[in-house]
Amino acid sequence: MSELKIASESPKWVASLNNPPAHRSKNTSIPDPPGFPSSQPSAVSAKQKKDAAKIEKAAPRKAPTPDEMDTLKVKKAWEVALGPIKGLPMTGIMMYMSGNSLQIFSIMMVFMAFKNPIMGILATNQAFERFESDSNRSKIIQVKLAYVAMQLVALALGIWKLNQMGLLPTTRSDWLAWETQREPLEHAVFAL
Amino acid sequence: MLPPQLSTLFLLALPSAVRAVFQDEVGHIDYHYELLGLPQRETTFFHRPRRDDKASLLYTLSDVGVLGAVNPSNGAIMWRQKLNGSTTNCGGFTRAGEDESWIASALGQSVHAWDAVTGRNKFWMDFAGEVKDLEIMELTESERKDLLALSDEDGTTVLRRLNGNDGSVVWEFREATKDIPLQASTNVGKVFVISLHGTAAAYNLKVSVLDTLTGKRLDELVIGTKGEVHSADDVMFVGANSASPIVAWTDDTRQKLRVNVLGTKSRQEFSLPTGTVSVEIHAPHLVQSDPHFLVHSRTATGNRADVYHVDPKTNTITKAYDLPLLSGPGAFSTTSNGANVYFTRITDDEIILLSSESHGVLSRWPLNTGSSPASAVHGVSEVVKKTGADTSYAVRTAAVTNTDDWVLVRNGAIAWARPEGMTGAVAATFAEIPESEDLVKSLEQEAHSNPLEAYIHRVNRHLNDLQYLPAYLNSIPSRLMSSVLGTEVSSKTGKLTRDGFGFHKLVILATRRGMLYGLDAGNSGKVLWGRRTVNLPQGSNWNVTGIQVHESTGQVTVLGSNGDYAVVKPDTGNVVDVAAPGPGRVTESTALVDTESGQRLISFGPDGEIGELPSNWTPKQTVVVRGSGEELKGVVFTANGTTSRGSTSWTFSLPQDQRVVSIATRPSHDPIASIGRVLGDRTVKYKYLNPNIIVVVAADDNASAFTAYLLDTVSGQVLSASKYEGVDTGKPIECAVAENWFVCTFFGQYTLRDNLAQSLKGYQVAISDLYESDEANDRGPLGDSDQYSSLDPIDTPTGVALPSVVTQTYILNTPLSALQVTQTRQGITSRHVLAYLPESHGIASIPRMFLEPRRPVGRDPTPAEMEEGLMRYHPNIEIDPKSIITHERDVIGVEKIITSPTIVESTSLVFAYGIDVFGTRVAPSFLFDILGKGFNKVTLVGTVVAITGGVLVLRPMVRKKQINALWTAPM
Repeated sequence: MSELKIASESPKWVASLNNPPAHRSKNTSIPDPPGFPSSQPSAVSAKQKKDAAKIEKAAPRKAPTPDEMDTLKVKKAWEVALGPIKGLPMTGIMMYMSGNSLQIFSIMMVFMAFKNPIMGILATNQAFERFESDSNRSKIIQVKLAYVAMQLVALALGIWKLNQMGLLPTTRSDWLAWETQREPLEHAVFAL
Repeated sequence: MLPPQLSTLFLLALPSAVRAVFQDEVGHIDYHYELLGLPQRETTFFHRPRRDDKASLLYTLSDVGVLGAVNPSNGAIMWRQKLNGSTTNCGGFTRAGEDESWIASALGQSVHAWDAVTGRNKFWMDFAGEVKDLEIMELTESERKDLLALSDEDGTTVLRRLNGNDGSVVWEFREATKDIPLQASTNVGKVFVISLHGTAAAYNLKVSVLDTLTGKRLDELVIGTKGEVHSADDVMFVGANSASPIVAWTDDTRQKLRVNVLGTKSRQEFSLPTGTVSVEIHAPHLVQSDPHFLVHSRTATGNRADVYHVDPKTNTITKAYDLPLLSGPGAFSTTSNGANVYFTRITDDEIILLSSESHGVLSRWPLNTGSSPASAVHGVSEVVKKTGADTSYAVRTAAVTNTDDWVLVRNGAIAWARPEGMTGAVAATFAEIPESEDLVKSLEQEAHSNPLEAYIHRVNRHLNDLQYLPAYLNSIPSRLMSSVLGTEVSSKTGKLTRDGFGFHKLVILATRRGMLYGLDAGNSGKVLWGRRTVNLPQGSNWNVTGIQVHESTGQVTVLGSNGDYAVVKPDTGNVVDVAAPGPGRVTESTALVDTESGQRLISFGPDGEIGELPSNWTPKQTVVVRGSGEELKGVVFTANGTTSRGSTSWTFSLPQDQRVVSIATRPSHDPIASIGRVLGDRTVKYKYLNPNIIVVVAADDNASAFTAYLLDTVSGQVLSASKYEGVDTGKPIECAVAENWFVCTFFGQYTLRDNLAQSLKGYQVAISDLYESDEANDRGPLGDSDQYSSLDPIDTPTGVALPSVVTQTYILNTPLSALQVTQTRQGITSRHVLAYLPESHGIASIPRMFLEPRRPVGRDPTPAEMEEGLMRYHPNIEIDPKSIITHERDVIGVEKIITSPTIVESTSLVFAYGIDVFGTRVAPSFLFDILGKGFNKVTLVGTVVAITGGVLVLRPMVRKKQINALWTAPM
């Protein structure tokens, strides 16, 4: 926590030096002039500064016990696990409104409806890494299962949309191209 | 969102807006030969349509019944009128009064008069009997000129004098004597009716002399012919309207010519050169002309002529001079300028102008026929005498050649040539341009040698091809430019080559006169060659029973009905093999069958008879032929030793009072892209796809009905039969079959839905779809089996698998004929029905979508049906003018339309023949796979160049600005 040290009173120029104006580099192909802030690795962003201030304020509070910490973590994990389903009504309404025709908007929506749950399921462990500890592992497993189930519900919504759009090969006509014409065994020619 | 009705309207309007032929495509994708037919000797003449104007037009009534006027200076058609419905060998008469602005014609039972400049009808009179002659009375008691029409009403000779202004009958002369009327003739004071009197063995000539004012008989003369005249054709010539009309005939051995001056009883005899085969007499047709005539006698090798003068006072004929014997058939024409009479002699290499007065040659020109040697058969001439310091003459002659062209020769040089022989076409086919023979040979060699040798050969071939590389590289800039600018890439070498789109095909056209033509469909239908392949006896037609292109050699075989055939190369017209028509076997029909030894063309005699075939010619298929009477037969061949015999496997006989009107089969190239139709709810209706189906239309004249039988031709089973009542069976009933549907057009009556008591008559089109089952998602009784046999009926439910038929009928505002369906390479493109509109002289391309039998009747379509493209059923189909692929062209007398696929799926080649010849390309689902002419390559290339230039200019500027933004200190 090195940021805490520079919180004491200091002249303005020090603050300016430590917090140069935000650097916007549009074109990476053009190098910055020498000595430009982007080349100084010790630069600290304004956001980090704010976070530091928050933690600084909370510091005087009493530290929670490990038990409390676990309960808190599991609670937080449940929140994360139920996250996907909270967005579903909104997604559903948007899918309904966007119609069943093949347009860029509905195609993007369907793509996102598939991408998000699948990516979520694949990243299950990373999502709960923060909350996991040796003591609450069994509880977190339940949460993970619930999380996967929720993502599957979201996926189901995507599949429903796909079906609505008629993109699922569920009808006879979708397989027509693989059906072959019946060949006659005899042929006739006409001399009429 | 549009209201549904409006969106349906848009759906309808959208394709039709795109379907029309674009103006810049006219003449590029389509070609049209505006033809008249071969001019006939007696019905062709020059005439001045305006009295004050010196310009004359060339008028003719052709052998296919088209009357027309041609501008003699450039050969363009001024106007034309089709006089009869059929295109049979015609005859007929045309006459023009001196200095009159109208011309008169007669054909069949009608007499008509036309405005000579515009071709508008002046009057049209129909009479009971066939018109045998038409003459103009130059001198009448009033100002106008009248017509004399001689007709034969079942043995009654009728001569009518018609008012030249309105066609009303001034007087009528009738004589019920069973005579054969020959000709009417008139001189200043009298009208003569010449007829054959007596019995068939020995006719005498009878001349009735009539009064011009009343038509009363003044006198009657019978001239004995000593039994030398057996029919009307034996009378060589009956001179009409000249100062001294004559009648001439020869004896049976063509040694003597006998001439009678009308109005006298005497007969004069002149000897003809020995070995004379045929005799023609040429004489002026004007009263004021000198009564001179020319006798043109042809021998087997040459021709000569004698000129005779008639003394009008004493009615004696004297020989004035004769013209020497020249080789070749030769032709003569007569021209009269006031009293002067000129004869023009056309030989193979010269045009000679003579006066009737003396044998001195007035003028002669060498005839330059160009590359194609042709000799004139008959012609008409116009002579202009230029008076001045030295008198000179100009002659233009319109002659019909022995290659069925109509050429105009102006002072020996050919001014124009019209390929009138392409009229009366009876059969045509598309043929590919043959690959070069060397390439075919070397490819064959490579296929048969071992891989290493073949590889070396191939490398050598490609190295050898390198010699063409510089020329190819040279041609690239010009090709690129022409591609960008949209100009035509003209083949400089003049060699026929296939193109990448498959548009470049040949059309082989056979006419009833025995000519074969090769047209280049990729190059505006240019006539590549025309060749007389069979020599037909006078008056007979070439009845082509089959025309086939051999797949591997590319040769075209044309089979006639009298055992004659011709095998020609499609690109040059060189005859590979030919057989003259013989009296022996009569061929009724032909079929291209698969045998052990490849494809063979076999021919059948009357009633489907065929003798023994060699065993390696045994057809593998069932052959369907017409049996005796109104029946069809399926013939199966079985090899027995070295020969094979056909045996009838099934017979389809029509009921007693029905007759076969037409038979339609699926086209030989009819690929199926999808075996089912997807409905709006994503279920599938499976198509009934049977390559062996035919539609037989059987008409019942007594019941005024026809039945369309759908037959399976392997088993002979009737798959479906639909009867239409209240049909005019006298009008043509035509059908076309494609894929899983067939369409028939006819004239019949129908009842209105809202008023059942009322029935109307009109042209209708009935379309039937065939499906495997009534239900969707059902493949019918055969289920999922991959193969089926028509001869092996399934047990459930019973019998053979019958199709489910959905039919709908529409009313048309015009008759249709020559039905044909477009063909494309893979059948993915939707199909259009092509039909000739005989009343508006155009070819319509009707989308199959409009003729859909599943259109909902009496209700609006459901959303699912709309998704499928089904519109609400409306009984009448208006032929959209935009769907007429002939657009503004006036295409007359189309008998048949043929179509051919191209390499690009979107496009189908169309060729129509009959009298006119018309060809175009159609894209039923629009040009989805090639760029149209409307695609602006200049803009495209220009945009790319402009953007590249812009980027090149702007890039340094932008970069400089970005660097400055980063590197300069904020001040």
